[in-house]
Amino acid sequence: MTALLETRGVWQRFGGLVANSDVSISVGRGEIVGLIGPNGAGKSTLFNLIAGVLPPTQGSIWFDGEDVTHMPAAERCQRGVGRTFQVVKSFETMTVVDNVIVGALVRNTVMREARRKAHEVLEFTGLAGRADVLASDLVPAEKRRLEVARALATEPKLLLLDEVLTGLTPTEAQTGVALVRKVRDAGITVLMVEHVMEIVMPLVDRAIVLDLGKVLVEGKPADVVRDPKVISAYLGDRHAVGA
Amino acid sequence: MDKNFAARRRRDLIIAAVLAGLAALAPLFIKDVYVQNILILTLMYAALSQSWNILSGYCGQISLGHALYFGIGAYTTELLFTKFGVLPWFGMLGGGVIAALIAMGLGYPFFRLRGHYFVIATIVIAEIGLLLFQNWEWAGAAMGITVPIRGDSWLKFQFLRTKLPYFYFALALCCLAWFVTWWLEDSKWGFWWRAVKDNPEAAESLGVVVFNSKMGAAAVSAFLVAIGGAFYAQFLAYIDPESVMGFQFSLLMALPAVLGGIGTLWGPVLGAAILIPMTELTRSYIGGSGRGVDLIVYGALIVAISLALPRGLVSLFSRAKPKGATR
Amino acid sequence: MGLLYGLIAVGLALIFGLMDVVNFAHGEFLMIAMYASFFLFAFFAIDPLLSAPLVAAALFVFGAVVYLLVVRFAMRAKANAGMVQIFSTFGLAIVMRGLAQFFFTPDYRSIPQSWLGGKTVSIAGIFLPEPQLIGALVSILAFAGLYFFINRTDFGRALEATREDPGAVALVGIDKNRVFALGWGLGAALVGLAGAIMAVFFYIYPDVGASFALIAYVTVALGGFGSVFGAFAGGIIVGLVEAVTALVLPPSLKSVGIYAVYLLVVFIRPRGLFGSM
Repeated sequence: MTALLETRGVWQRFGGLVANSDVSISVGRGEIVGLIGPNGAGKSTLFNLIAGVLPPTQGSIWFDGEDVTHMPAAERCQRGVGRTFQVVKSFETMTVVDNVIVGALVRNTVMREARRKAHEVLEFTGLAGRADVLASDLVPAEKRRLEVARALATEPKLLLLDEVLTGLTPTEAQTGVALVRKVRDAGITVLMVEHVMEIVMPLVDRAIVLDLGKVLVEGKPADVVRDPKVISAYLGDRHAVGA
Repeated sequence: MDKNFAARRRRDLIIAAVLAGLAALAPLFIKDVYVQNILILTLMYAALSQSWNILSGYCGQISLGHALYFGIGAYTTELLFTKFGVLPWFGMLGGGVIAALIAMGLGYPFFRLRGHYFVIATIVIAEIGLLLFQNWEWAGAAMGITVPIRGDSWLKFQFLRTKLPYFYFALALCCLAWFVTWWLEDSKWGFWWRAVKDNPEAAESLGVVVFNSKMGAAAVSAFLVAIGGAFYAQFLAYIDPESVMGFQFSLLMALPAVLGGIGTLWGPVLGAAILIPMTELTRSYIGGSGRGVDLIVYGALIVAISLALPRGLVSLFSRAKPKGATR
Repeated sequence: MGLLYGLIAVGLALIFGLMDVVNFAHGEFLMIAMYASFFLFAFFAIDPLLSAPLVAAALFVFGAVVYLLVVRFAMRAKANAGMVQIFSTFGLAIVMRGLAQFFFTPDYRSIPQSWLGGKTVSIAGIFLPEPQLIGALVSILAFAGLYFFINRTDFGRALEATREDPGAVALVGIDKNRVFALGWGLGAALVGLAGAIMAVFFYIYPDVGASFALIAYVTVALGGFGSVFGAFAGGIIVGLVEAVTALVLPPSLKSVGIYAVYLLVVFIRPRGLFGSM
């Protein structure tokens, strides 16, 4: 069986700056994969290429056996790619449930069903009690969860999480980790970008470390954290020590 | 929760039906032609503003060039009528369709623009339309077109002895615009539009084709406004470029929605119900001096309301609050 | 003419660049300035050329006051911020027009004699070379002054800094409101200067601002919002396009050329020619 997601020799240049060079990664069905690396490693760029914000300068991206390199984001969503944003992008003037309905409309054209689906997802993500609150009135941790809920409402095969755990209090992060596990148990593949290693390592099945736009190391989290290359890439970064 | 929501939708519908019923009875008590005139204009602007609100309020693409579609509706109707003898009813539909097509044609380049660049482009395109019509000999140029009088008839939508038919048409148009908004508000399009307004990038990631959403909103909005233009032309029985395509129409379409509450179901109706009679009354009672007091009052009111109530007058009524606005 | 458009537009661009607010009452600022120089001429026989600095100073105060009384609150709006700005300045424009009608009556006025004009100019669009030349000269001087001001003085730097990061500026002890008020004053003063010069060529009446305002917005947007240099360049382009269109098309269509060029430019460069935002 082929991988759910594959990038083949992807390059991305911005002017003279090379953000990704020859990145080839793959994500299998049902995995939780962590994409990590120090600041400026090109994680977010790769993430955006996979989500379809922009096409790569070179290389191709395959999703579910199909070349999606030049497919716009909206269409990728219809194929089953869901994503969150690092800087939360809620629909601020809409209520929580309305935010989620927008996502649910991808697979439910009848409003009644979209609404039911949205409530279901809110239940799943623990936001049910906040359904009728304006998105702008949520606290930051809830906004993060709303991002996940919205993406889940599109019934993705692959969920891309962009630093959803960063900046949360330890309790909030624990709830977040539990949610990601729950998502995987529901049969959804997860690719998560995180800057902070210690949060994701216990959670992921496999970790891919990017550094300077290239894949540095790839493997089981326990092996990755012990890899000298990774340690030196993170050296000076407080999270490397003792991770 | 779902029950509350359905109940609120039903309640909106009932309130609208009751209001429309009351409005329909109004001519029984109001015989004064001057007052009837004001009512007709109020209903017309309510309808126009409701249509404008679809593109600018719900979808967030602020247009100050809707006078273009208004004028196209008016001109299509009258040109077809005077030059080819086509009944105004068909002209009206034709004008609506043409306006919708133009709106979509313009959408291709326009919807790439953001913020003020977009707003200014809409003003500019309406100005170009105005100037072109002013110089288009066949369409009467700056002299305009006088609708030939053929006697009262529903067929030709022309009435000299009474204004009542115009009143009922304006009411029907207002109801139509309201109902279209009501219906779209809880539809895929309605949700897509609000998502596009709030955050296009996030909308795109959730499967919303942003460009198509804007095009849909523009087409519906332009179509309804053009119908309004056609009505206005028949109502006045005379049109010239400045009087159907002037910038003031773009403004008068936007203001009721802004004052009442932009992007809300009731905002445009509420705004028009207050603004239009006030405009007409200040103009005839204070404005007679020709000294601009009406403008001062009018302008000050706009400043005051937009500063004090950024969400519009509907935010004063908890019952009519936009969906879920809890603060 | 292009330079004058530039001058009007620079004031608008300055305000926009400073705080992302488009002043839709800009045309009315121009109208006030024209009246001011008219009355200075009518009552005190001060030639518009001499009164220009006075008018600019008066407009400076006026602009600052408008900011403090209206715009400051518009910027605080929690919801629909863009809309509130547009319509509160629009409302202001209507009030100003009304006030002008009230105090000055809707009559058309003109300054019959001036050192600049030499003789009465009866139709807008036909100028004697001499006043045009001086107008252009004043505009260039004003641009040079503005450039120097923004780049070389403490206040200019404070403006730039506030525009970039109001929060950080507050930490250094600069009062944001004061800087913005001064920015509005400066923008208005530039319009004042333009108004004083234009009072010589054009009839003055309460709605006069509206006819120039749209061209000013187009000019600013053409150059790119927020770019003072862009507004200057935009002004020159608009002036040239207007002159060329006047040769090809009937005079009543001369603005079409300007509008068409604007659309063309933003379709190719959605942020205007020199816009960075």
